[in-house]
Amino acid sequence: MASPEVDTAKPSESSAGSQTVKVDTGEDWRRLSPIAIAYFTLRSIKNMAQGAIYAVPAIAVTANINDSIQSPITLLSIAALVIIFFSSGVVSFFMYRFRVNNQHVEIHSGVFSRSYTNLPFWRIQNVKIELPFYYRPFGFALVVLDTAGSAGEEAKIVAVPLAYAHALRKQVLAEHQEHGHQENGYQENGHQERETSAHVNDSGHVNNRAHANNSSQACVDGDQSERYSETNEDGETILNRRSITDIVIHGITNNRVWIFLGAAAPFYDNAFGYLSEWLAEKGLQLNQLVGEQTIAWWQFGLYAFVMLMMAMAVVALISIGGALFTFYDYTLSRQHDRYIRRSGLLNKQEVSMRASRIQVISAKQDWLDRILKRVNLYFEQNASIGHSTKELMSPNRLIVPSVTEDEADELSQEVMPQSKIRRSDYQSISKRFILHWVIAALAIPFVVGTGIGIYTEHLDITAGVTLVSAILLGIITLRWWRWGVVSDDKYIYVRRGRIGIDYLCFEPYKVQQVVVKQSVFMKRRKLATVQFVLASGAISVPFLPEEYANKLANNVLFEVESKRKSWM
Amino acid sequence: MTMGTDNETFSNAQLNAIITNENTSASDIPQLHQLNLEAISPRYRVINISLAFSIAFALIMVASALRYQSFFAIPEPLVTAFPYIVMGVCVLGCVATIYHFFADPLIKYALREQDLSLQSGLVFRSLSCQPILRVQHVELKRGPIARLAGLASLQLFSAGGATHTFEIPGIEVEVAERLRQFILDHKDVSAK
Repeated sequence: MASPEVDTAKPSESSAGSQTVKVDTGEDWRRLSPIAIAYFTLRSIKNMAQGAIYAVPAIAVTANINDSIQSPITLLSIAALVIIFFSSGVVSFFMYRFRVNNQHVEIHSGVFSRSYTNLPFWRIQNVKIELPFYYRPFGFALVVLDTAGSAGEEAKIVAVPLAYAHALRKQVLAEHQEHGHQENGYQENGHQERETSAHVNDSGHVNNRAHANNSSQACVDGDQSERYSETNEDGETILNRRSITDIVIHGITNNRVWIFLGAAAPFYDNAFGYLSEWLAEKGLQLNQLVGEQTIAWWQFGLYAFVMLMMAMAVVALISIGGALFTFYDYTLSRQHDRYIRRSGLLNKQEVSMRASRIQVISAKQDWLDRILKRVNLYFEQNASIGHSTKELMSPNRLIVPSVTEDEADELSQEVMPQSKIRRSDYQSISKRFILHWVIAALAIPFVVGTGIGIYTEHLDITAGVTLVSAILLGIITLRWWRWGVVSDDKYIYVRRGRIGIDYLCFEPYKVQQVVVKQSVFMKRRKLATVQFVLASGAISVPFLPEEYANKLANNVLFEVESKRKSWM
Repeated sequence: MTMGTDNETFSNAQLNAIITNENTSASDIPQLHQLNLEAISPRYRVINISLAFSIAFALIMVASALRYQSFFAIPEPLVTAFPYIVMGVCVLGCVATIYHFFADPLIKYALREQDLSLQSGLVFRSLSCQPILRVQHVELKRGPIARLAGLASLQLFSAGGATHTFEIPGIEVEVAERLRQFILDHKDVSAK
């Protein structure tokens, strides 16, 4: 694609205020900005830390830290380590060269094991721009180029001016759209409209690049809102923003504790040590509480309750912190045929997803969400590529945290026009679902448990088993109550959940495989389970009326095989 | 859109209802339960049963050899457990044999113009259908015993992930190869 180029500025100068950014670097190899030294240094420290994390307890045990921390040997070795890491950063910096030439990104990197990456623009599936916190004051960015293959196949241009990063992304994505346009000539009308509008935007390329440049300066000033209003003219429309209140609600309703707990794992022992010391200072000794019979049971219960509440409060606070850490300044925007999510407190991260790649929209409401009338909306794409879908930052999944129910409807209609997720005409599943699970999973443990209780004359066991069984029965019943499926002209909707509710919506033509399952007993009752395998995972609805399940399966297959549209 | 008739390799019995795009009324949509299902090779059952037999036999032989050898002493609890171990292995072997005896003939497949279907299962019967349009690649898998028997498994990989690989086990090599060729020649797969 020969996009219009205005040959005025080199990337390294662009942050100094020139109006356009030249993406193509020509034949020359280019070095990164020196800030990359910081990146490489930190990366090698991080790598070592990850490698050495298992050695930490051993070192802590063998060396008496308080004694040796002041000794010259320790200081010397720390200094040596710092120097080693810094110099490895410098060497990595000098060994790294890249060029963008003739629609290819080429990268030479590595110190001992040299590697050469050559990525044609059309093979790049996704361009992410990351802003580590130490890049932000200087207006630099890290560009991650994703290819369709595995997670290891991504290429990173470690430090370039933000404006250059934006220009590069624009050009790569424009190339991609053009390429994709030729391939997907048979797209349906709705998509064609969207793509043509994208092309209108493309023609104003040179202007857009100037805006991208402005936007970088806005970012340098730290003025986020200005940045986004600027990028609006960049062909990017903001669909949703999340305020701090929203994110706090998200932190409360969703457990985001692990964002911190995962990172803090090596310090658990110490933390508990300090905690019990601190409690001991306050005259509260856990060992005494448990060990001695001096206090009444209700006192102990009260202590336990207070402790539990304190722990819950701490967990909720940590969770809010985690949510703020990942979702601070959240925006979801659309640029041409992609959705882009930007968020993050220290490291601003960006995930973008092509609209046509979205396989399933899922709107998830946990019980607390239901009380607060909030929904977590997920746009899910191909799960078999790279990272696991559980990761929040995973590029397979675009999350819009804790939107209101109306916003959820609006956003899902934006992604899947005319879809209606909340509806009352779901085909419910047969009550035999409850019977099936009671017989298959509940009956034997219940009979054995109560039997043991009665036989050994420990009626508390019997009572406990009965209680647990009753709770499980309740959950099974709720699951039966929630589960349902409905289809309209364009979409299939599935509702499911136990205490919370998930709504899923997908286009039938994106289905990869259809399975209809029936046990002998279900056949007798004319019931069947239907399963749709999508690239983002399988969705199944059990115990439907046989006729309904078959009709659904046949219609979906017909849709796939007659429309013949790409699922990507 | 015309559906090609570029599949002379298949008899009409193997090619089921042909989808045409012109008729879209509900009654004309091809029905899954009207498939002409075809059984896989009967040798597949023979292989499975003899495999179950020989594994059980080998396990019993090893256990007996350990029990009755005279080179070193076996701990007392193991000696008492010996008959139970033999019994357990026998029961498992019998269950596997009975299962394969009844379940394997129920594995059936059908090829239509646009998709491949597989029916299987004794108590829980599943009928899965893989549109050829969504096949990403095809593989013929042949273990040593299957090679001896002239059988192969046909695996179709879609974007649904490894757990949802569509596999037709125990079909004759020639059939498997023809099926593979049919899928490869299918214009949706070959067009990529």
